[in-house]
Amino acid sequence: MFASVRSLAATAVALLALPTLSAAETVKIGAAFSLTGNAAAYGAQQKAGVQAAIDDVNKSGKLKGITLELVLEDDATSKEQGIAVFQRFINRDKVSAIIGPTLSTTATAADPLAQQARTPVVPVSNTAPKGITDIGDYVWRVSLTEAQVIPSALKVAQAKIGFKNAAILYGNDDAFTKGGFDVMKASLEAAGIPIVDIQTFATKDRDFNAQLTALKAKNPDFLMVSALVEQAAAIVSQARQLGWNVPIMGGNGFNSPKLMANAGPAAEGVMVGTAWNKASADPVNQAFIAGQKARGNDPDQFCAQAYTGVLVIADAIAQAGMKGGREDIKAGFAKVKDLPTPLGKFSFLPSRDGNHAAAVQVVKNGKFEILQ
Amino acid sequence: MSLESLQDLWLTYQSTVAFIGLNGLLALSVYTTLSCGQLSLAQAAFMAIGAYASAILTFHSGLPFAVNLAAATLLPALVAVPLGLPVLRLKGVFLAIATIGFGEVVRIFFVNLDYTNGALGLTAVPQRTSIWMIYAALSAALFVLWRIRGSRAGYALEAIREDEPAARTMGIHAARYKLAMLALGASFAGLAGALEAHYTYMVSPSTYSFTRVVDMLVYAVVGGTSVFYGPVVGATFLTALPEILREISARVGLAPGPLRLFVNGAVLLLVILFLPEGISSLPRRVRAWLRSRREAHAA
Repeated sequence: MFASVRSLAATAVALLALPTLSAAETVKIGAAFSLTGNAAAYGAQQKAGVQAAIDDVNKSGKLKGITLELVLEDDATSKEQGIAVFQRFINRDKVSAIIGPTLSTTATAADPLAQQARTPVVPVSNTAPKGITDIGDYVWRVSLTEAQVIPSALKVAQAKIGFKNAAILYGNDDAFTKGGFDVMKASLEAAGIPIVDIQTFATKDRDFNAQLTALKAKNPDFLMVSALVEQAAAIVSQARQLGWNVPIMGGNGFNSPKLMANAGPAAEGVMVGTAWNKASADPVNQAFIAGQKARGNDPDQFCAQAYTGVLVIADAIAQAGMKGGREDIKAGFAKVKDLPTPLGKFSFLPSRDGNHAAAVQVVKNGKFEILQ
Repeated sequence: MSLESLQDLWLTYQSTVAFIGLNGLLALSVYTTLSCGQLSLAQAAFMAIGAYASAILTFHSGLPFAVNLAAATLLPALVAVPLGLPVLRLKGVFLAIATIGFGEVVRIFFVNLDYTNGALGLTAVPQRTSIWMIYAALSAALFVLWRIRGSRAGYALEAIREDEPAARTMGIHAARYKLAMLALGASFAGLAGALEAHYTYMVSPSTYSFTRVVDMLVYAVVGGTSVFYGPVVGATFLTALPEILREISARVGLAPGPLRLFVNGAVLLLVILFLPEGISSLPRRVRAWLRSRREAHAA
C-alpha cells in the first residue's frame, strides 16, 4: 500500500511540476466563487458577470495590448476549499488579483492569505460591515456593505410610506442575517424611529407563525426582516396568510428572484435595498444588461457587482500605467475615481470600501422594480 | 524539478496538508469512543469548546500558545466527564441522540453568547498554528491509541465493544473505561478545534454544526475502524480528493462546477461499496487476492 501511495504521489508531483507559461501581455485574474454548495445560486450569477466583463474588457482594447485571463475556481461554499483555492491562485496560477469569495465567512478565512502574499483581493459580494477590509490594505471591496445600503433604503421607504414605528424579525444563528440585523437596528435608531418589537428565529425554522403573531399584536407600521432567501419567502407568505398587510423591507438576503419564485403573489410590495439600480438608463448599465441577455442570463445584483469587479481591476491596471503586477494593481485601486460601471459612478472610500449610489427595489407583478 | 517550483507546489497545497492533519485528528476523536462500541456525536461540541477557549485566551491573556493549546485540550475533557456520567448509561441510537442534543446545546449557547459576537463569531484570530504543530498533535494522538492497543486497557476496550455484559462479568469496570475514552476523544477534538481556529483566523458557531460530526464519522468509516490508523487514512483520502479532482479538471480543461462534486460522490460510493471495511483494509485484501491467485496458479 505504501509503495502505491508513493508512486501516486510521485505522479502527482510530476504532473504539477510542468512549468506554467506566461506571456508578458497576459494578466491573470483569479475568481473564487461558490459554484456548488449553499451559495451556488449567487455563484452562478457571479460567474456569468466576470466572464462577460473579461470578454468586454479584452474586446474594448482599453488595456492596449494587455489581455486579461480568467482563472475560475469553485470554493464549494466551504472555508476549507476557499483557503485551498486562494493558495492555488497565489502560488500556482500566480494571478495578479483575486475576485471573491462569495461569502463573507469564507473571506474571513481566505483573504488573510492574500494579504500575507501581497495579492490584491476584490470582494464583490461580501457585505459584512466589519472584518473584511479590516484584513489589510490589499483588500479593496466593490460590494456595498449592509451599513451602506440599509440606511439609504430606509430613508427612501420612509419618504414613500411615512411610518412612525417599526419592528424587526431576524435569524440570530447565522452570521449574515445577524450582521444585517445589527445594521437595521442601528439605522432605525439613527433615524429616530422607535422599535416596538424584535423577534428571532433559527436558520432551520420553517414555521414563523409564532413570531409573526407576536409582532402583529404590537401593530407596527413597518417590518424589517433579515433572513436568507429560503426563509424570506416563507416569512413573507406566512405574514400575508395571517392577513397582515404591513409593509416589509428585507435585507440583502431578499435580493434574489427566488423570493418571487417561492413566495408567489405574497411577495408583491416587498422592498429590498440594493447596490444595483437595474432600471438605470446609464449606457454602461444598458450595455451590461444587453450583454447578459445575449448570453442567455437574466442578471441580478451579484452579476452586476462581479462584472464591476473586473472593470475596477482593469481600470486599476490602466491607472498604474498599463502595468498588471500585484503591486501595480494595488496602487492603481487608489486612483480609481468615478469609473462608469453598471452600478453607477464607482470610487473607493478611504476605508477601501466601494462607494456608489444605492437604490430600493420593490416587487411588482413578480419582478423587482426600482422604487423611484 | 527546480527548487522554486517545489516550493510553489508546497505553498499551493500547504492548506490541504494542514486540513488532512486536522481532519485526521477529528476522525481519531470519533474513533476513540467507537473503539469501545460507543457512538458519540458530541465531537463538534467539544471542538467548539476547545476553539472558543483558545481564541478567548489568545485575545484576553498573554499566555504562550502551548499553554493555550493545553487548556483547549483539557477543558473539553473536563466537560466530557459530567456529561458522560449520565449519558453513557444510554446505548446505541439513544446515546447518539443524546450526544447530538448536547452538540446542539453547545452550538446554540455560542450563538447566543454576546461576549463572542453570537452567530458572527470571533474574527481576525491571529494565525499561530504551524503545520508541524498539527502533525505533532496527530502523531501524539496516534501514539496514545497505538500504546492502548494490545495493552491491558486495550483488551478491556475490545471486550466492552464486543460484549459489554460479558466484559463486566470478567471484572472489567466498563463505565470507567467508556468515560475515559469519551474524555480522551473530547480532548482530541478540543485540540483540533484550537489548532483550526488559529489556522483559519476565525471561530464561528456554524463551523460546529451537526454536519461537521457527520464528516468526522464519514472519515472514520471510509478509512476503516478495525485499525487505529484507519480514520486518518479516511480523512486523508476525503480531504485530498476534492483538491486532486480540482487539479485533474484544471488539466483536462473542465469548467469548475457540480461535476467535480459528482465525481467526488461517485468515488466515495465506490469505496464504500467495494471496501466495506474501509480503505485501510485495502492492503490486506490485495494480499489475500494475490495469494488466492498464486494458489490457483500452483494448482
